[in-house]
Amino acid sequence: MENAISVAGLTKRFGRVTALDGLDLTVAQGEVHGFLGPNGAGKTTAIRVLLGLLRPDAGEVRLLGGDPVRDAVALHSRLAYVPGDVTLWPGITGGEVIDLLGRLRGGFDRRRRDELLERFDLDPRKKARTYSKGNRQKVALIAALAADVELLLLDEPTSGLDPLMESVFQQCIHEVKRQGRTVLLSSHILAEAEALCDRVSIIRLGRTVESGTLGELRHLTRTSVTVETADPLAGIEALPGVHDAVVEDHHARFDVDTAQLDAVVRRLAPLGVRSLTSTPPTLEELFLRHYGDEQAAAERVPS
Amino acid sequence: MTGTLGLLRFMLRRERFGLPWWLLGATLLVLIQSTQSQNLYDTPEDLEKLRHSIGGNTAVIAMSGPTRLLDTIGGEVVFEILGFVSIVVALMSMFLVGRHTRAEEETGRAELLRSARVGRRAPLAAALSLAALANLAVAVLVFAAAAGTGLPVAGSLLFGLATGAVGITFAALTALAAQVFENARAVYGAVALVLGAAYVLRAAGDVGDGGLSWASPIGWSQRTFPYTGDRWWPLLLALGTTALLVTAAVVLLGHRDFGAGLVPPRPGRPAASPALRNAYALAWRLQRGSLIGWAIGLGLLGAAYGSIGDTIEQYFRDNPEVAEFLPGGTADVVDAYLALTVGLSALLAAAYGVTATLRLRAEETSGRAEPVLATATGRGTWLASHLSVSLVGSALVLLTFGIGEGLAYGLTVSDAGQVPRLAAVALAYLPAVWLIVAAVVLVFGWAPRASAALAWVVVGYCAVVALFAESFGLPGWVRRASPFAQTPQVPLEHLGVAPLLVIGLVAAFFLAAGYAGLRRRDLGY
Repeated sequence: MENAISVAGLTKRFGRVTALDGLDLTVAQGEVHGFLGPNGAGKTTAIRVLLGLLRPDAGEVRLLGGDPVRDAVALHSRLAYVPGDVTLWPGITGGEVIDLLGRLRGGFDRRRRDELLERFDLDPRKKARTYSKGNRQKVALIAALAADVELLLLDEPTSGLDPLMESVFQQCIHEVKRQGRTVLLSSHILAEAEALCDRVSIIRLGRTVESGTLGELRHLTRTSVTVETADPLAGIEALPGVHDAVVEDHHARFDVDTAQLDAVVRRLAPLGVRSLTSTPPTLEELFLRHYGDEQAAAERVPS
Repeated sequence: MTGTLGLLRFMLRRERFGLPWWLLGATLLVLIQSTQSQNLYDTPEDLEKLRHSIGGNTAVIAMSGPTRLLDTIGGEVVFEILGFVSIVVALMSMFLVGRHTRAEEETGRAELLRSARVGRRAPLAAALSLAALANLAVAVLVFAAAAGTGLPVAGSLLFGLATGAVGITFAALTALAAQVFENARAVYGAVALVLGAAYVLRAAGDVGDGGLSWASPIGWSQRTFPYTGDRWWPLLLALGTTALLVTAAVVLLGHRDFGAGLVPPRPGRPAASPALRNAYALAWRLQRGSLIGWAIGLGLLGAAYGSIGDTIEQYFRDNPEVAEFLPGGTADVVDAYLALTVGLSALLAAAYGVTATLRLRAEETSGRAEPVLATATGRGTWLASHLSVSLVGSALVLLTFGIGEGLAYGLTVSDAGQVPRLAAVALAYLPAVWLIVAAVVLVFGWAPRASAALAWVVVGYCAVVALFAESFGLPGWVRRASPFAQTPQVPLEHLGVAPLLVIGLVAAFFLAAGYAGLRRRDLGY
């Protein structure tokens, strides 16, 4: 089965600024793919290239088996898009915008639209100029979720939604997934990606730094271990794969590369483990590590 | 009022690039007019001849001002230019006040400011102070331009103050409108309507017995008669009106909530009507309000000009000896007048076409085009949807002007045939108007960031050629580049098809080239 999205070596420059610098992204059909990165990493630019609004300077981009620029109109009737910053026409009501966008996509499910209005608790009679940011976001989300399409491109869709609405959104995405549709979800809210995504791609400075299932990515990361033993814990800090160790006689706290976890645990066992807590790395930490590298590099330069 | 001074300083900073252009424009108009007039009519005999010819030319009076101004050379300058400079400073004042009051509230930026130690009345007070400063600068610059080119000092001072007085009156009017209407677009529409009415009222008054001119702020300023009597008291009318309008605005401001107008918003449709189904329907829905406003405005303007047409005939019936001097007699003079007014309406129709076409750029930069283009709507369809409004809309606007003028003129001369005749006459300018629209599409396709600036430069250039080519002594090649100058001056001249065809072909080429540019560029930047 062909991938819903395949991007290889995508480069996009604006004048002297390089927004995308050899980005790779593969999204299989039917998966919910998290597209993670700090602000300014190039997530929105990448989505705009996928929509054919921006032309790539270099690289290969395929969307639903077509060329995003050449086949824009045909492809767009098979996808729905929610921009990160939703602006609407001030004099037109939310209900009208939802219907209009649905019709422009080539049809939508009216029953589903009404049901979504109910679930997201949106008043469709208000003119868009009176909507708050969260309500504008809901208008775009309802229009996208009511559309009968194969692919959803969602650019930070929950920014501005309150926690209750966020959970409604998560339910909706689970339903979409059950229907076998594909979702590309850009976000910097990690809990959201952890709750929803089958696979994630992490991007920084316009380049993909990591991609895979959450499980696969965890292999590349460290587990935090706090341990108390009967015998003194001398020499633990010297083991391969152990970092940031704080050792006090029978107590120790350290991070260990997940690949070396087994060896370290074997070394601990003969010492008589009294208590042991190990925390799997959260996406937060994955993310901080990639973002943190840059900060560390920045700190190193002046000294 | 707390924080007014700080806000004023901030506003001055935000206007530091835009405001100088308005001031420069107003100053240059006076400077060039004064120099040219003094060159053209440097002897009392020349001035006497001018008085004689203009005295019978109602068209020129309707466009300019009261004939008493023609008694001296300084007055002649005021006669020619004060009406136009008034429009420039009124628009400047309208945008200054509107941008810093209602527009700020509408976007929510004012909310951020008001949450700081800033009083309820401070934004309005600061915006009005800004407009007062700008109009004071206008007064000083006009005085300097007039006195600097050798006109009497006292008259020049009055000339400057009379110009500034129009500006401050319209600043106060905008302040009031900003309390009434909920969005800036409606504020500008209402103030522009009053400005148009002010111009037409003084035209009707100056052609007639002068009574109607006293209903117009532009009329008050012209009737200070700088250099030809120096009457100061009409300035008090402007000041009094300003005080009244500002008081009304402050009272209304005290009675309304932040962000609200006088009329509360009504709930709208919960679902779209079946008609709102594609990009074309959206474009027409977005632009219909503005199109209706322009059509009504131009229709009324046409009616106003048309109703004056008859008094020209009357004048010649009363003074047959003047008519003998004119080749072609009475009929030609009326036709010349009609041609002049239709030419003016074509410029306004082009201005409408430009605003309608620039909607594309506004949709693009605001991010509203993005969700539309992310649907099965291609760039071509999107472009065509808004273009259909500007092409059909500008035709409609021309047509309503022609029908309005034909109706009013036809009624006064009892000739229903004037309606189809003048409607057809107005449409002769359609290719020229479309060429301007096409030029906007061209820059939108290839130089989107510059599109608004370049579009208005083109319109401004055509307006200067049409209105001031004679009095500024512009060289022939400068005039010939304007599509309006290339259009035969119907109904005075015979309508040839060849020039219209050429203009149409150039327009088609611009449209195709603009579309090609749009296809290959990035959107949203």
